[in-house]
Amino acid sequence: MASPRACFEKLEVDVLAAMGKPSLGFLVALAISATCFVVGLGLWGYQMLFGMGVAGIRHPVGWGVYITDFVFWVGIAHSGTLISAVLFLFRAKFRSRFNRSAEAMTIFAVMTAGLFPLIHLGRSWFAYWLFPYPNQRELWVNFRSPLVWDVFAVSTYLTVSAVFFFVGLVPDLAVVRARAVGIRKKLYAAFSLGWVGSAKQWVHYNQLYIFLAALATPLVISVHSVVSWDFAMSIVPGWHTTIFAPYFVAGAIFSGCAMVLTLMIPMRKILKLEDHISISHFESIAKILLFTSLIVSYAYVIEFALAFYSGHTFEIAHFTYRLLGDYWYLYALMVFCNVLLPLTLFARSLRRSLTFLFVMSIFVNIGMWLERFVIIVTSLAKEYDPYSWGTYVPSMVEVGITVGSFGLFFTLFLIFTKMLPVLAITEVKETAL
Amino acid sequence: MNDTERRVDRRWEFEDEHEFLEKLKALVDQGTPTDLLDVITPVPVPATEEILKMKRSPLRFFTLAGALSGLSLGFAFTIFTVFDWPLITGGKPLISLPPFIVIAFALTILLGSLASFAGFLILGRMPSIKKIQEPIEHDNMFIILLEGEAAQ
Repeated sequence: MASPRACFEKLEVDVLAAMGKPSLGFLVALAISATCFVVGLGLWGYQMLFGMGVAGIRHPVGWGVYITDFVFWVGIAHSGTLISAVLFLFRAKFRSRFNRSAEAMTIFAVMTAGLFPLIHLGRSWFAYWLFPYPNQRELWVNFRSPLVWDVFAVSTYLTVSAVFFFVGLVPDLAVVRARAVGIRKKLYAAFSLGWVGSAKQWVHYNQLYIFLAALATPLVISVHSVVSWDFAMSIVPGWHTTIFAPYFVAGAIFSGCAMVLTLMIPMRKILKLEDHISISHFESIAKILLFTSLIVSYAYVIEFALAFYSGHTFEIAHFTYRLLGDYWYLYALMVFCNVLLPLTLFARSLRRSLTFLFVMSIFVNIGMWLERFVIIVTSLAKEYDPYSWGTYVPSMVEVGITVGSFGLFFTLFLIFTKMLPVLAITEVKETAL
Repeated sequence: MNDTERRVDRRWEFEDEHEFLEKLKALVDQGTPTDLLDVITPVPVPATEEILKMKRSPLRFFTLAGALSGLSLGFAFTIFTVFDWPLITGGKPLISLPPFIVIAFALTILLGSLASFAGFLILGRMPSIKKIQEPIEHDNMFIILLEGEAAQ
């Protein structure tokens, strides 16, 4: 068996090789993502110039694709914190293969999500009104509003995730520093803060990591609960239900794990990390995916059961509409992607097939986006009085901005793979000992 | 002053963690004062804490202080705002604690995390300009350092 040092060296060489000169394929992917982002940005500018009329949202459906995108991206962020914090506290060893990428994904997803309330505002330049600051009218924000809770929950989430991400990076930045040359060496030396790896530093580091994990763990539950309360605190049929918080949290972890698979399966192949991320590691993520899919499926059933058991006319009418109304095909597709398809993961051979997992993860991403769309749009389209009913179709501007958000997310992720070690080198070394 | 900044006269390097721990233990058993010893390792080695009889990190006090400040700030600020401009909505009391808990909770986590991070930087003496300019590398070796006087 090779000495620990030889294993460490191989790991460093393999991971840092991934940060080498970008291939043509990488540059093409980056160009496509960046173009989508720039087009999305342009459409946002167009919307600011010509007003919200260019979007499809209007009475009665005032929340459409933008809010769907917001919830979708916040949801994607969640598996990063689950993998980095919760699985750390549970001492799940497979997390060390995914936590770096998943944490990066969390930060980029929250950044993307954070844009959507601004886009949805229309007059985005007034976004700072959501923050409590002393002003000449002596008015404060309404702390009873779930929208203000959202501001606090999401900005806390972004900050804590960024701190957690950076702390995990410090010993690895020192590894990159040792092997880099020229200006890169100076940059990585500065960002590694002069890390040495002395006994005292490790003691403080380990303590910090446990505390950050313990502080981030409640965020996994709280952030998406608060997002769900944006809906559940209102009295709109289909939204006003107590199961929304756990239902949204499970959905968030479900969609986040799917995105981890979507990103990591190609990344492992392109960056040649097959020696370090095994099929069994992916199988562990597939098991979380299956488990959370079952929770989400249960929530879908309970939603209907609660509506019909309550005997509440509007709730029953709403859920009948959701299943059989104008958007029935989206609901059916959602059930196929989120409930039926993941059941195939009970088969071990499918859990271990990376091609199958990759294809399925895309279906789950689509399914979870549709879930948010169905919840938001069907509830508003037929709220109470028939004279105010209506349907909603997203405009090309909304579609373009949504595609642009994927462009932003993938652009940031691609840049990350070339700038920072995609595997948590120090943690993988630790598990190798 | 950090241990790794001291004048070092003896230095042992090991490729293997177990040999490193054996040597460290032998040094301590021989009566070498633990405050003159330091180690540099590529990964955390919890056994060194016991051998060097290190105290638990005081970082927890930073976390506690930050979290408690966040909690009290969250409640104090929300309650202050409803009294600064009293506006009764829906017949509810001005101080409606349930919604304020959400804000206080978020600030507890936020300030707790930031204070912990600040504590880490202060206790770990980072960022260190000197070590940024001249980094000390472990080169994937488990290293024991002994300060001058004990090595003589």
